[in-house]
Formats: sequence, structure tokens, C-alpha cells
Amino acid sequence: MTDLQLLLETLKYVGAVLLLLGGFFEITGAIGVLRMPSFFTRMHAVTTSAVGGTVIPLLGIFIVSLTKVELGWSRVYLALLCIASSILILIIAPAGTYALIKAASASKVGERKELASKVEEEPCS
Amino acid sequence: MDLIMLIVEALIIVYLASATMLLIRVIRGPTLFDRVAAVDALSYDLTVFMALLALYTGRLLVATPMILISLWAYALDIYVLKFTEYGEMGE
Repeated sequence: MTDLQLLLETLKYVGAVLLLLGGFFEITGAIGVLRMPSFFTRMHAVTTSAVGGTVIPLLGIFIVSLTKVELGWSRVYLALLCIASSILILIIAPAGTYALIKAASASKVGERKELASKVEEEPCS
Repeated sequence: MDLIMLIVEALIIVYLASATMLLIRVIRGPTLFDRVAAVDALSYDLTVFMALLALYTGRLLVATPMILISLWAYALDIYVLKFTEYGEMGE
């Protein structure tokens, strides 16, 4: 086995680990969006699912598609698409979440008051 | 079967399951903002799903509209912010 084949095998396993990590973040984020009690806690799950479940597996696909030599030159196209969209999502996902939270708190959704009253009703230990 | 293809196949199932959960939240979300947030997460989900599908089928040109789909969600956020904050859609 030459050095290049060894490098390709190693990069393939690195990409596989990144893909599995991204799948874990995505499924936990989706469960959080479905099960969280109020809007502001759901936004936390959405941001987790966006940064952890989208940027990390896109980096994984970038590495994996570069190591699949049998696909020809179009694998470079997929790799460039993945790295560009992962950088874009890393920039725009927190900005979009912040904009949405600002809109929700400006239009007084009301769930913040419910949360505050729940906190006040709990007895101090 | 190759290890990478096995992982990609499992991840396609994971992303379909999470897309189903997000669709449930889109349908029964109590306010507008819940729905918009779920649509955001759904479009980010779809971005990775297209890349995985292109890698799985071997037709890599399928994944071309990835960047456009990830940018639509940001435009949706900004429009909701403009409409609720200033009462207009802006120029």
C-alpha cells in the first residue's frame, strides 16, 4: 500500500466519523423541535440542528467525496459545493435565528410571560 | 458493501425521520414563528439530504441547488422580521 492509498483510507474514516456525528446532532435537534415546551426553547434546538447537523456532515461529505476516486472529476464539483454551502450556513443560520427571535420577542408571542410566571410560582428552596 | 455507502444509507434514513418530525411541527405549530423556525430547520435538513443522495446514487450533478435552498430560509427569516418589526416588506 502506497502512501497515497494510506492517506485516502485515513481520510475516509475521518469523513465517516464526521457523518455519524452530524446524524446524531440532527436527530437530537429534530426531537427537540418536536418535544420542547415553548418557542424560545425550540429555537435552541433549531440552532443545534442547523450548526451541528448541517455544517459537520457537509464537511464529512466534502472529505468523503474527495476520497472516492472512482467517481471522476465531478467529485471535486460536489466537494466545492459542500464546502461553500457549509460556510454559508455557518454564517447565515445564527443570523437568521437571531432575526426570528427578535421578531418573536417584538411581537409579544406570550410564551415568555408563561415561562416567567411558572418560574415565579415555584417555591424557593 | 462499502462502509461509507452503509453509513450514507443509514444517514438518509435518519434525515428522512427528522424531516418527518419537523413536518409535524410545521403543521401543528401554535404560532407563526414556530412554523418559520421549523421550515428553516427543514431546509437545512434538505441541503444535507441532497448531498447525501448525490453521493449515494453517484450522480453528483443532482446536488447543484444546495446553496439556493439554504439561502431561501435566510430570506424567509429576514422577511418575517421586517414584517413584524416595521409593518412592511421593505424594498
